[in-house]
Amino acid sequence: MIRIDNLSFRYSKRTPPILKDINLELNAGEVGILLGKNGSGKTTLLKNILGILSPKGGTIYLNGKDLLKMKRQERARLIAYVPQNIHFGALTVFDSVLMGRISYFGIKASTADYEAVERILADMNLESYAMRSVEQLSGGERQKVAIARAMAQEPKLLIFDEPTGNLDIANEGLIIEEAKKLAREKNIAILSSIHDLNQALSFGDKFFFLKSGVICHSGGADAVNEISIKETFDVNVRIAKIENQKIIIGGTGKCI
Amino acid sequence: MKAVVICQKMGIAAFLYIRKMNTQVEIKRKNRKSIVLILIILTAMIIMAAVCMFVGSSDMTIGEALNALMLNGTDGHERIIWKIRIPRVLAAIIAGAGLSVSGLIMQTTLNNSMASPSTLGVSNAAVFGANLSIIAFAGGFLSTGNNLTSYTVGTNPYSTSLMAFLFSTASILLILSLCKIRAFSPNVVVLAGIAVGSVWTAATTILQYYATDVGLSAAVVWSFGDLGRASYKTVVIMLVVVAIGTIFFQTMSWRFNVLLSGEATARSMGVNVDMLRFFSMLIASVITAVCVSFLGVIGFVGIICPHITKKLLGHDHRFTVPMSAISGSMLLLMADTLSRSIGNGSALPVGAITSLLGAPFFIAVIFSRKENHP
Repeated sequence: MIRIDNLSFRYSKRTPPILKDINLELNAGEVGILLGKNGSGKTTLLKNILGILSPKGGTIYLNGKDLLKMKRQERARLIAYVPQNIHFGALTVFDSVLMGRISYFGIKASTADYEAVERILADMNLESYAMRSVEQLSGGERQKVAIARAMAQEPKLLIFDEPTGNLDIANEGLIIEEAKKLAREKNIAILSSIHDLNQALSFGDKFFFLKSGVICHSGGADAVNEISIKETFDVNVRIAKIENQKIIIGGTGKCI
Repeated sequence: MKAVVICQKMGIAAFLYIRKMNTQVEIKRKNRKSIVLILIILTAMIIMAAVCMFVGSSDMTIGEALNALMLNGTDGHERIIWKIRIPRVLAAIIAGAGLSVSGLIMQTTLNNSMASPSTLGVSNAAVFGANLSIIAFAGGFLSTGNNLTSYTVGTNPYSTSLMAFLFSTASILLILSLCKIRAFSPNVVVLAGIAVGSVWTAATTILQYYATDVGLSAAVVWSFGDLGRASYKTVVIMLVVVAIGTIFFQTMSWRFNVLLSGEATARSMGVNVDMLRFFSMLIASVITAVCVSFLGVIGFVGIICPHITKKLLGHDHRFTVPMSAISGSMLLLMADTLSRSIGNGSALPVGAITSLLGAPFFIAVIFSRKENHP
């Protein structure tokens, strides 16, 4: 469903490439996780897919359509973004989610847009929050509103940049569960960057290890092993199994 | 059993429908609250405009003023009302609205709560243009060899305003062209505005150093904001520019709301952030340039009113754009009435009054600011 072929990116001719020959494929309903050290190119790759940055080479196809040739609004109806740091301004939850419909309405929201927002709030159990100011909500609730706003775009691909970066352990689990549920029920592909490897294992179906702008390992949960982690992060880890669940322990090595 | 399931489903559907209706009612109620607040401030502004029209240095009573307004008064009173006070009140309403809305939009587009129409150095450039016109061209040293006795007022009464406008527009285009190189990064725009603004200030100082006493005093007096300079012609020009700008900002209100979510998020939602920033900054700057060119420098309206508005209504630009405009008009009317009431027979510069009101408020905003949004 999303297919990236030989994608490359650099900021200018004088700077070294940030992404080199990226190849990636993700089906509807699947959760893909980008793993890599800080500066490995995860966020840059996500920004290239979102159209915030323009690739210098390669192609990105979503449902058979060339993303790089699409208009902004058309792309916004296919791909939505949940950033790490979430801002809304002093708006109500309803208006914040309605914002996600801007690629559909442009200047004035229609009844159909209002109804779409009501449906999403009901689906995500946010109805009782509808008229509250987003500024009064906790970190986890704001993250949920950000996901609802992204869902208002009716996307086929949902992109998360460190979705649990600012959350406590309870909200981390909640947000991951919510996102996985959406992927399965709405048949949406999710591509996310995550630092925590154990969280990545509980969230993802496919894993892409990025090192210096190159995907060095990829695959299902089996691809997350001592070797791929050692090569990507330059750390030694041990992998244990508790109640049939893979757990990554430790992490010793040089830090950069 | 089947009947029970159907009943259950119908119950759930009814419950969801009632909840949906409740949400719609609540949205309408919330929007109506904002609209009522805007109407209250609009009514207060209209009352203030009436008060402003009846206050002045002449000893005209309210009855005489009303008669003059209905064209039943003496020639003198009718001249005061129709030639002096009405253009002054209209100028206060239009310029106040324009400067305030420009401030609001600059704060949103630059993601900086301290941004205002003076951020891009528009006022500094206008002051330089006016100074150049008064000191150098309009009978100044370039045409008279700095001979004080030959000092005359320029033949075209609009030449000073025209020069002020040309320089402020040139300054805006210079800054926006420079910023295009860095894709209108808010910090770059603010820093470029400060840098270019200080160049105009330095150039004004050098110009004033070579000015005659009369030229210097005329130039300094020009830089005081004064609504008394307004005529019907200037009011019409300001009205056209401010109205077009405000309508543009109102139609873009959802895009400004999206911009509050951050640049990357706005881009991912299909908003052309660079174009929105460029045109918003350009229009806000042109509004400021037109107002400053005709009336002189009127500071702080663009900071005080958007902040009051955001405290009252939150950040939804569908409501903050009209509310900012009305509160800007209201503030300038109040400042003008105050300036003519305490001026002991002559009006104090309204720019000084708005700054006197603005500075303490500005400090209060800085110390009470809890959120990071513009």
